[in-house]
Amino acid sequence: MAGGPRPMTRLAVTLLCLVVVLGLAAPWLAPHPYAQQIREFTTTAPQPGFPMGLDDLGRDRLSRLLYATRVSVLLAPAAATISILVALLLSALAATPSRTLRWSLSLGNSIFLSLPWIFLFIILRAKLPLNTDPVVSVTLTFALMGVAGWAVPSRAFTASILGMKDAGWLLQARAAGLKPWRIATSHAWPHLWALALAQFRILIPAYVLSEASLGLLGLGVADPMPSWGNLLQDLQHPDVVQANPWTLAPLGLLVFVMICLEVLAPSRKVAL
Amino acid sequence: MISAGRESTFATRFALGLLTFLATVLLGGFAASALVRYSPGFDIDENAWNPHLSAVTVAARHARLETENGLPRFYLRYLSRAAHGDFGKSEAFNLPVSELLKNRVLVSASLLTGGTLGGLVLGGLLAWLAVWPRRVILEIPAAVASGLLLAVPPAVLALFFFFREWPLWLAVALALLPRVFGTARSLLGTWYASPALLAARARGLGSATLATRYVLAPAAPQLAALVGVAVVLAFGSLIPIEGLCDVPGLGQLALKGALARDLPLLSALGLIITALVAGVQWLGDLAR
Repeated sequence: MAGGPRPMTRLAVTLLCLVVVLGLAAPWLAPHPYAQQIREFTTTAPQPGFPMGLDDLGRDRLSRLLYATRVSVLLAPAAATISILVALLLSALAATPSRTLRWSLSLGNSIFLSLPWIFLFIILRAKLPLNTDPVVSVTLTFALMGVAGWAVPSRAFTASILGMKDAGWLLQARAAGLKPWRIATSHAWPHLWALALAQFRILIPAYVLSEASLGLLGLGVADPMPSWGNLLQDLQHPDVVQANPWTLAPLGLLVFVMICLEVLAPSRKVAL
Repeated sequence: MISAGRESTFATRFALGLLTFLATVLLGGFAASALVRYSPGFDIDENAWNPHLSAVTVAARHARLETENGLPRFYLRYLSRAAHGDFGKSEAFNLPVSELLKNRVLVSASLLTGGTLGGLVLGGLLAWLAVWPRRVILEIPAAVASGLLLAVPPAVLALFFFFREWPLWLAVALALLPRVFGTARSLLGTWYASPALLAARARGLGSATLATRYVLAPAAPQLAALVGVAVVLAFGSLIPIEGLCDVPGLGQLALKGALARDLPLLSALGLIITALVAGVQWLGDLAR
């Protein structure tokens, strides 16, 4: 076991890499542009040239799924990175001697954990004009997720930073005359880096799932740009799903990626 | 001394929790009032084009409205009215917001109660099966079931239940199950491996005594805190579930308000839900 990652982890990483490559290569792999409409055919079965058929607006389902994979799989880690960076920056306040700053951080953290964030997305969507540019909607959706999600990792970082204050290695480093900046970069950062990676692995599946839920409600990435969330909207029409089972492909891919991400994520506990 | 220390710790936590609760509600109220204040068309004075008013009167009215509707004043007025149950009028439904809330709160409360209780019972039971008998044959299926449920968006789960005409509270419960399972499994596992339990087992105490005295009793405060978190998580899943499955509750109201760009309604819902979530978290923190 000490020789490397578990076989399940290796398998999950390989499969995830495959999905990411498929998403990245969407412009080359997709048979059609994601917004191109073939108006003569709508909601059709797979046929030559359209391996997964066409949706109700006559757009190629396979092309849209490939582009959606790019949006969901690449932007969720980007949002997680924003959360981690914001959390690290704010948690650094815990290292300061000021009790007021530390208390403000704790209060801000509790407030952010208490706010119902899905409401913020709903209100944001209500504020945006109906003809919002898809690039703006996708950027806002994931950026807001990233900024709103700082509180959970920040709690872990703050606890870790406060724990370091009593650590023996810190006393030794201080006694050796190391400057605070050197202690932070050479000694404290490796501890935080491991924690940041763990938090990163927890946040990615959370954001993939959040985008899917928002998209299903029509509050996430705006049409015509595809994301797994807005592709799931077909599930609201059971007659369409029964007649065209391939409409379940986005859900299948989402569940598959989520399972792979869960295998990679550290043990899952809600913050008490 | 120990008791005094505990009391002071509890008092400090109570005070800090109360402060956080108040700060959260005030912040939520501020955000809500700012949204209403800056909503499109708020500044428009229908008398601005009244031919019977002179230019001086119109200018005076405009100046007075600007002063009255400055954000700080508007915020205080909004909070004071909200404290008396007046959240304004919904633009989309053309009804007082308080009336809309009254009509729908029971539907959401029943879904929330059923879903939270179901999630806690199912998640707790699954965690117990994974930890207590120490049998791989039970542990692996429990972890797989939880992992699969975690991979499916709650809204998709709810749609499946809706089209099958199965009870929706069960969908809320299943969406909650993996979150409860992960935490409960870790908590129970920690106490299950405690030296006190091992010593008690060596003394020959029965399973029931071991479970109640050495696992459930010490884990009780954290399990109580888990109830608070579960309510908050279940509330988060209500909006997509009610919105997609046509359940006339607060979640559906929020979604309809968003689609109709009804900011007074959204602001009131945001404020109430913030207060509720902050209150539940405060109680959960106190129970810990």
